[in-house]
Amino acid sequence: MRTTLTDYPELAKDIKEVVITTEEIQARVAEIGAAISADYTDKNPLLVGVLKGVLFFMADLLREIYVPVAVDFISISSYSSETRKQGIVHLAKDLETPLAGRHVLFVEDVIDTGLTLNYLLRNLRARQPASLEVCVLFNKPARRLIGIPLKYKGFDLPDRFVVGYGLDHREKYRNLPFVGLLTASAYKEQ
Amino acid sequence: MSEDKQRPQFAQPAEEIFARILDYYGIAWQYEPRSFALEWDEQGNIIEAFRPDFYLAEQDLYVELTTLRPQLSTKKNRKLRRLRELYPEINIKLFKRKEMRDLMVKYGLLQEAAQLHGTAAQPNGE
Repeated sequence: MRTTLTDYPELAKDIKEVVITTEEIQARVAEIGAAISADYTDKNPLLVGVLKGVLFFMADLLREIYVPVAVDFISISSYSSETRKQGIVHLAKDLETPLAGRHVLFVEDVIDTGLTLNYLLRNLRARQPASLEVCVLFNKPARRLIGIPLKYKGFDLPDRFVVGYGLDHREKYRNLPFVGLLTASAYKEQ
Repeated sequence: MSEDKQRPQFAQPAEEIFARILDYYGIAWQYEPRSFALEWDEQGNIIEAFRPDFYLAEQDLYVELTTLRPQLSTKKNRKLRRLRELYPEINIKLFKRKEMRDLMVKYGLLQEAAQLHGTAAQPNGE
């Protein structure tokens, strides 16, 4: 199993240092999975993730939850020079599961400004779930604009450009099993 | 959000970008809605004030953007410190040059971020 920087020679040159190791992530995900299992016993929660960054966390988290659980995914258009022409955010892929009366746990890989999460929570809340909580693996509080209560949180991240375990830079580096600091040259060149 | 109002005249391009991002995610905002007195003369006249760039009503949060290089933002930092001393009940967030640039990169606005990279100082409005 590939777990360290040296296992990824093609990408290693762009990583200045590993800030959260594979083992640390695995241990924290297991703790969160156990906490969710305890809190949601007999509630058959629905875990909702927003594509694409959450894929890795969601897959590992689900395997650490030992009570019945369902999963669904949603996808939205992020702000960019292209999507801004459409005016407002829109759902690129909606959920397939009705939320009314369900205990919903929204799972995110990272929260930064809170703008995306705030939009999604408003959207999901309107579907009248029995409960709606948030589970975030990586918290970047430095640029937070929207305060959002986090029921489960993995790690606080520094205000640096980090990648890996779902976090990307222009769609690269998501597949690293750890979180690494991107070098300035990689950050600027691409 | 100011969808039913005339778009304000932003002092800086970064402010307009920030407003567009807020609009995109459905966050209501007001541009420079309130001025806070910071210093008075002996007659009680205001001689220094500070007007944060944005107010997000739902979050009860003022946001000040700066695209000044850190070494040029001493005056603004002093004003913010004074604001927090005099109005401790006010929530204000300073978005520094690096944070604004990172935000632009995050949203794929690489050209705008590059322009910000080359900005030495702002002429007015800060």
